[in-house]
Amino acid sequence: MDFEYSDDQLELRAAARSVLTSACPPSVVRSVVEGGEAKELWPTLVGLDWPALGLPEAHGGLGLGFLEVGIIVEELGRVVAPSPFLATVTQFVPVVRESPVGVALLEQVAAGRVTGSLALAEGGRWEPEAVQFSAERVGDHWVLRGRKSHVLDARSADELVVVARGAGGLGAFLVPGAAAEASRPAVLDPTLPVATVAFDGVEVGDDRVLFAPGDTRFPAVLRGAIEEATVALALSTVATCRAIFEATLQYAKDREQFGRPIGAFQAVKHRLAECYLAVERADSLATFAALTIAEDDDRRAVATAMAKAAAGECQRLLVRDGLQLHGGIGFTWEHDLHFHLKRAITGDLLFGNAATQRARLAGLLGLEAMA
Amino acid sequence: MKLRFDDSVEAFRAELLDWLAANRPTPAEMAAQPSVSTGHAPAWARRWTRAMFDAGWLVPGWPPELGGRNAGPIETLVYLEELAKAKVPRTTNVQGLGIVAPSIIDYGTPEQVRDYAMPLLHGEATACLGMSEPGAGSDLAALRTRAVLDGNEWVIDGQKVWTSGANYADFCFLFCRTDADAPKHKGISIVIVPMDTPGITVRPLPEIVHPEHPDLNEVFFDGVRVPQANLVGKLNDGWAMANGSLAHERGMVWVSAVMGLEESLAALLDEAPGLLDRLGPTERALAVDQIVQVAIDTQAARCLGYRGFAKLARGGSAPEQALMKLYASEARQRVALVAAEVQGADALAIGSVQPDGHLAVDEPQGTWLEQYLHSFANTISAGTSEIQRNIIAERVLGLPRG
Repeated sequence: MDFEYSDDQLELRAAARSVLTSACPPSVVRSVVEGGEAKELWPTLVGLDWPALGLPEAHGGLGLGFLEVGIIVEELGRVVAPSPFLATVTQFVPVVRESPVGVALLEQVAAGRVTGSLALAEGGRWEPEAVQFSAERVGDHWVLRGRKSHVLDARSADELVVVARGAGGLGAFLVPGAAAEASRPAVLDPTLPVATVAFDGVEVGDDRVLFAPGDTRFPAVLRGAIEEATVALALSTVATCRAIFEATLQYAKDREQFGRPIGAFQAVKHRLAECYLAVERADSLATFAALTIAEDDDRRAVATAMAKAAAGECQRLLVRDGLQLHGGIGFTWEHDLHFHLKRAITGDLLFGNAATQRARLAGLLGLEAMA
Repeated sequence: MKLRFDDSVEAFRAELLDWLAANRPTPAEMAAQPSVSTGHAPAWARRWTRAMFDAGWLVPGWPPELGGRNAGPIETLVYLEELAKAKVPRTTNVQGLGIVAPSIIDYGTPEQVRDYAMPLLHGEATACLGMSEPGAGSDLAALRTRAVLDGNEWVIDGQKVWTSGANYADFCFLFCRTDADAPKHKGISIVIVPMDTPGITVRPLPEIVHPEHPDLNEVFFDGVRVPQANLVGKLNDGWAMANGSLAHERGMVWVSAVMGLEESLAALLDEAPGLLDRLGPTERALAVDQIVQVAIDTQAARCLGYRGFAKLARGGSAPEQALMKLYASEARQRVALVAAEVQGADALAIGSVQPDGHLAVDEPQGTWLEQYLHSFANTISAGTSEIQRNIIAERVLGLPRG
């Protein structure tokens, strides 16, 4: 196994980091956190072809793979960028691109004219088995009814992939964001805005059926899409945690008490060493998971759950120690640290937190009780 | 970045596996003459070392005259993995092959290479590493064993402790103070001391598990005289060489550490269904979560190791390497403890093990509780976990020294 990025990939990362340093400074994040919008960021990213990166060239994409998408996800997570990238590229596209109906949309996604999201979870559960949202065939169309929880970018996405259960099984429908009734909740992290979406008899024509309920291809497509979304959240969360780590390390070198930098005290040193280890541990697992997805390797299910679990465990340590070691200043609204803290916590909780992933792993490793 | 190796690496693997199948010592042969200490090489081990040397498999990265084949780092990684998978020890004298021989080759005279390094590589001798002392453990530079020049001989007085394999080794690679007035890091030299030199007393220190096979020793030096020519490298340059020696030790040690960890986890996953079925639902759920956590730890150890390795193989620096000793040793400890806890009171039985625990400190041995207690060998030796955290904080993260 060659476990290091290629020179091209490293260049992509360096370029992305450089762009985001100027296009998404903390002031842009703060404006979103304080109720405003980052109107110029997305057009900038579209101008760099980021939404097109992982799409096939035949559909206006650049034909790169999940590793390159992951690099962008990490760089966005590192600066807590408020952007439709995560929902569109890592949640919406993985279902849409597998459907003959959906493929037609890809060119517009690549051009940045369409953003999207995935309406899957119900009651905070992302497992396909938990879907009760109903699709009923009435005449020549489908009628959708139910509530979806924790839909990322629900209020801003142009299109939603809605996973629903019909008489024949699970299916997926394409619904304009405007047709759904999204709640307007106050969430901890406005840079990853999630909302509940209610559908009370929304009618969908056959031209918007991505996978009809019971389509035998769909379970595998959905499983794959959930894995992509989950690994993307792991990558994003770990990158956010690394930023917390770097800020905290710098603070420990700069802040002096008792006549020396607080980082000279062993109690602080050992905490930082543990934080560093947690970030590297989670990062290497997330990278491995991304690689199994890029190569569609058999180990991707286990690797995904491990990556997301480790990202969550990393978050717990980095949020705690990052805030603790910053002391009082990190506790204030005016300091930028809380953007990262909230983003890291949010990333852990979406698509199943660390404990949920470990429970999933118990099944994958054959440790569940026999019924 | 990709999951599989290139064809040339797979060809290397195939060649190694063919050679191993035809030449490896058999399990029966190894069991009949167990190695009882890291300084002890039974007849099969001596033949095995020589066979690997002659075929260029002893240190694949070295040139043929030193028992290698000029293999690259990726091939060396594959080599270490396949030996571990085949359950063939690369050597019974881990310090001799891993640290002493490379150090003599790097820093020694041609005569020292001929008289001390080559016998190690030919399976004709074993060596121990004389570093720690009662007053110099983590603070190794505080060592006090003295070597004073008297005519053309060094006269050595002092005491070493935790010296693995000293009870069987043919010679000691001894760190001693040669300038009492210099700052502590600047007055240390390395001298080769044959263990049959008059004035040396070795007292084995039985360990908390399996005291019948002691590997650690106290070694007392009382007016021990060796030729001046036994000084390795430059006078008072021992500390710099010690860092070189430990770099040898840490370079690829992670491979066997990770493979040992994986072996422990596989054993746990194998036993788990039977153990878990004895538990009620809540207890079972708690136990399962513990097992899953160590499974994640194990996979992470491999990923961390591979990633650091990939950076090194491309000539970059790899801070992951500094994490591996700390992480793998503590993960190993957790696996054994989790397994013992899932066993409950049944974990109290003690097993009888073959005394091959010293083939490699990473080889799982004995019951889970015995493995747990034994795992502290790895969180204490070669720089305790606490020292590792200091090293990470100061050398990798750049925090000021306390």
